[in-house]
Amino acid sequence: MPDAKEQELNSIRKKLKEQLVSHLSLEDVDPAKIKDDEILFGEGLGLDSLDAVEIVVLLQRNFGVEVKDMSQGRKIFYSIETLANYIYENQKK
Amino acid sequence: MPATDIAITGLGAISAAGNNTQETLANFSSGRRNGGPVTLFKTELNYPAFQVQNFSPLKPEAMRSLNLAFYAAEQAISDAGLENGFGSLRIGICLGTTVASQLNDTDFYRQYRQNQTAPMDSVERYLKSNLAYELAKFFKIRAQLCTTIVNACSSGTDAIGVGLSWLRNDYCDLVIAGGADELNRVPLDGFGCLSVVSKSLCAPFDRNRSGLNLGEGAGIVILEKTNLACKRGKTPALFLNGYGQAADAYHLTAPRPDGSGLKQALEQALKQAEIQPEDITFINAHGTATKDNDLVEGKTLAKVFGPQIKFLSTKGFTGHTLGAAGGLEAVFTCLGLRENWIPANAGFQELDPEIGIAPVNQITQIKGNYAVSTSLAFGGNNSALIFAKN
Amino acid sequence: MYIAGMGIVFNRGRGLTNLEKALTQGWVKPNPVYRVPAEALADKQVLKEARRADNLSKMATLSAFDALADSGLPEKSKSNLGIILATAFGPHVTTFGFLDDILTYGDAQVSPTLFSHSVHNAAASYIALNLQTRGPTLTMTQFADSFQQAIILAESWLEEKRCEYILVGSVDQTGKVMEYICSQKLKLAQDGRIKPFSFSPNPAAVPGEGSAFFLVTNNAQYNKYCSISGLPAEDQEKDDLYILDSDGMCGDETLYKKLGQTNIPLVSYAPIFGSMLTLSSFSCMAAALMLKNQKTYASPIQDNPHNFNILTRHQTLAVHKIKCLRYNCYQEELAIRLKTE
Repeated sequence: MPDAKEQELNSIRKKLKEQLVSHLSLEDVDPAKIKDDEILFGEGLGLDSLDAVEIVVLLQRNFGVEVKDMSQGRKIFYSIETLANYIYENQKK
Repeated sequence: MPATDIAITGLGAISAAGNNTQETLANFSSGRRNGGPVTLFKTELNYPAFQVQNFSPLKPEAMRSLNLAFYAAEQAISDAGLENGFGSLRIGICLGTTVASQLNDTDFYRQYRQNQTAPMDSVERYLKSNLAYELAKFFKIRAQLCTTIVNACSSGTDAIGVGLSWLRNDYCDLVIAGGADELNRVPLDGFGCLSVVSKSLCAPFDRNRSGLNLGEGAGIVILEKTNLACKRGKTPALFLNGYGQAADAYHLTAPRPDGSGLKQALEQALKQAEIQPEDITFINAHGTATKDNDLVEGKTLAKVFGPQIKFLSTKGFTGHTLGAAGGLEAVFTCLGLRENWIPANAGFQELDPEIGIAPVNQITQIKGNYAVSTSLAFGGNNSALIFAKN
Repeated sequence: MYIAGMGIVFNRGRGLTNLEKALTQGWVKPNPVYRVPAEALADKQVLKEARRADNLSKMATLSAFDALADSGLPEKSKSNLGIILATAFGPHVTTFGFLDDILTYGDAQVSPTLFSHSVHNAAASYIALNLQTRGPTLTMTQFADSFQQAIILAESWLEEKRCEYILVGSVDQTGKVMEYICSQKLKLAQDGRIKPFSFSPNPAAVPGEGSAFFLVTNNAQYNKYCSISGLPAEDQEKDDLYILDSDGMCGDETLYKKLGQTNIPLVSYAPIFGSMLTLSSFSCMAAALMLKNQKTYASPIQDNPHNFNILTRHQTLAVHKIKCLRYNCYQEELAIRLKTE
C-alpha cells in the first residue's frame, strides 16, 4: 500500500504531466503516456529554454512553488521525477 | 578613404544618460549611472530601470514614446541646421519602436474584461501613435516615405539601415531615422518572467552579469545626401557607409549559439562599406548583460575583429531601451568618432573566460575612421551599421 | 520587381486554388466577421517549428511557405532570401492575452511564452525558422500604408542587391477585443455587406483577417505573374483597371469618386476578404492572378449608386496594367501598380 508521500508524489506527477501538455502546447503528447522518468529537455519531451521559464511560472501558479535560482534549473527540471520531487519538497515549506 | 555619399548631419538623443548629446557626453565622461527604482508606473517587481529625468513633453497628450521621439528629433533637426524647414528636399522618415506599436493599455483591457465595454481614449491615443506619421505631422513634414520598424531590439538600427537603402536608391534626399521607446509595464513584466532582468545595475560582458535593466529614450540621426548637404552650406564630417542584417532562424528568444547570424550581418555591412575588419576602430555592441547575448556577441566580435578590438556596451548608462536602442547607439557611435573617445563599459569588472575578450573599462582615446554599432533582437534578427568620419 | 510566387491564407481557406474559387464564386455572407477557418492552419509539416505559435504567426508562415513553393525556386535560393512582413496591428490577440495574465496573476507570474509572441516581429521570426532562411528579416507597421511601404522596401533591397529574393507580405487578425474596438470606432455593416462603390462619408466595414505573401525578385527568369511596384509611376501608360480598397476601415470614402470619373473600370474584392488595413496585399494578389490568367473577376458586391463603370461579370480579356488603390486615414492616395512584362 503506497505511503502518503508516494500518493502525494503520484498525484503531483499526474497533475504535472497534464499541465505540461496543456500549458506548453504539446499537442501530440498523451499525458497518461509520459513516463515518470521522462527527460524533459533534449531527447525526452524535447523542451527548450522558453519552456523552462514557462515551467517556472506553471510551478508558481499551480503549485505555489518558486524557483529562485535558475542556475539550479538543470537539476530540478531534469525529468518528471525530479520536478515532482522538487514540488513535493518545496510545497511542504 | 571612406565612402562619403551619405552624411550624418544631425544627432539627437534623450535617455537616462542625458537629455541631449552634451549631457550624455558629460555623464559618459564622469561615469555617472542614472539607474534606479521604477517610478513611472506601479509595479510589484523590484528591478532597477533607467528612466529619463527632467523631461518636458512637447505634446503632453501624446504617448510618452512619441514625446521622446519628438524631443530627440527636434535636437537632430536643429543640429542639422534645418529648424526653419527642409526646403525642396524630399524627406523620408523611418523610426523603430516596440511599445508605441502595441495596443497594450492595461486600464483599457481591465475595463473591457470586467464590463465587455471600455472607454476609447487609450485606443484613440494608440491610433495617433504611429511614430513616423506623427513625427511628420508634428514637424509639418510632407514625407515621401514614412514607415515604422517593429523588429524588437534591432528596430532603431534597422530603421537607419532602411534610410540608407532609400537614399542610395534615390527614393528621397534626406531621412530622419532612429528609434524611440518608453519604459512600460508590459516589457518589464515580460522580460522579468523570461528571467533575464537583473535585480542590480547591469554589467554587460562581465563574468558575473545577471541580466539586463530596461530603459527608455530616443535616438535620431539625420541622414542626408552629402552633395545636397554641401549645397546648403554644411561640411559633413560623419557618414553612414554600411548596413548588414541577417536572421538566426534558430529560436524565438535565444540567439543562435554559433553567432553565425551576427557574423553574416557584420560581413554584409563591411562589404557594403568596402572596408576590412581591421579598419574598424571601435564597436558599440548590443551588450544587454544577459548570459546568452553577451556570450554569443562577445565571441563573435572576437572572431570577426580579433581579440584586440576595442568594444563597449553603453547599456550600462541607458539600460536596454528596446526600439530606441539602435537609434541611441548610432548617435553614441557617431559621438565617439567625432570626439575621438569612447566611455568605459559601465558595470564591467571581470573578464568572462567563456567570452574571452573584455570591453574597454576606462575612457579610451580612439584613432581611425570607422566604427560599428550592432543590435541583436528577440526573434533572432542581427543588425550592424558602419559609421565613418572624414 | 517581378512576382515569382504567391501564397494566401484567408477566410475561405488556404492557397491560390481557394482564392480563384472565391473570386469566381463571389460574395458569401461572413459569419459574422471574416475569420480564417481553423483547418486552414492545420499543417504540422510546414509548422513543424511552430508548436507555441499563435494564429497570426501560423497564417504568416503558411502563406510565406506557399509563396516560396509556388515560385519553384531551388533550395539554394534560401541563402539569398529576405523577409519583409507588414502588419497594421500585429499580434493583438496575444497582447491582450498577456494583459489578461497580468491582471489575473500579477506582474511576477505572467507567461513568458505569451510575452515573446506579443512582439510584432514574432511572425517573421517563425517564417525564417520554419523555412530556414537566414537573409535580412524585417517587420514594419504603418497602418493602411503598411503593405505599400513593404513593397517599396522590397524594391529598394533588390535594387541594392541586399538579397536576390524576398518574401514580402502582410498579416493581420481579428479577435474579440479588436472587434469590440471596430464596433466603437467604425460603422459595421449589419447585413455583412461591404459596399465598396457607395463612396460614402461614413462607409460600413466588416472586420477580416488573413495573410498574403509574394516571392519577389528582379530576376526576370522567375517572373511567373507580373511586375509590381509601390513607387511613383515613371510611364504615362493608362491603367486597364483599378482595384479599390474601399472597405470602410479609413473613414470618409468620397475621395474615391474621382476615380470613377476617369471611366477606367473599377472593382473591389474587399467583400471577399473582409475589411483590413492591409487589404492591399490581397487586392494585389487578385490583380496578379488576373494578369497571369488574362481574366477579370466580377465585383462580388455590385451596389453602384453613382453608376460608375464597375466590373459586373467574369471575363476573359486582355488586361495589361492594374492599379490597386487606397485612400488612407489622412486621405493620401496609396497605389501599387502591377503589369504584365
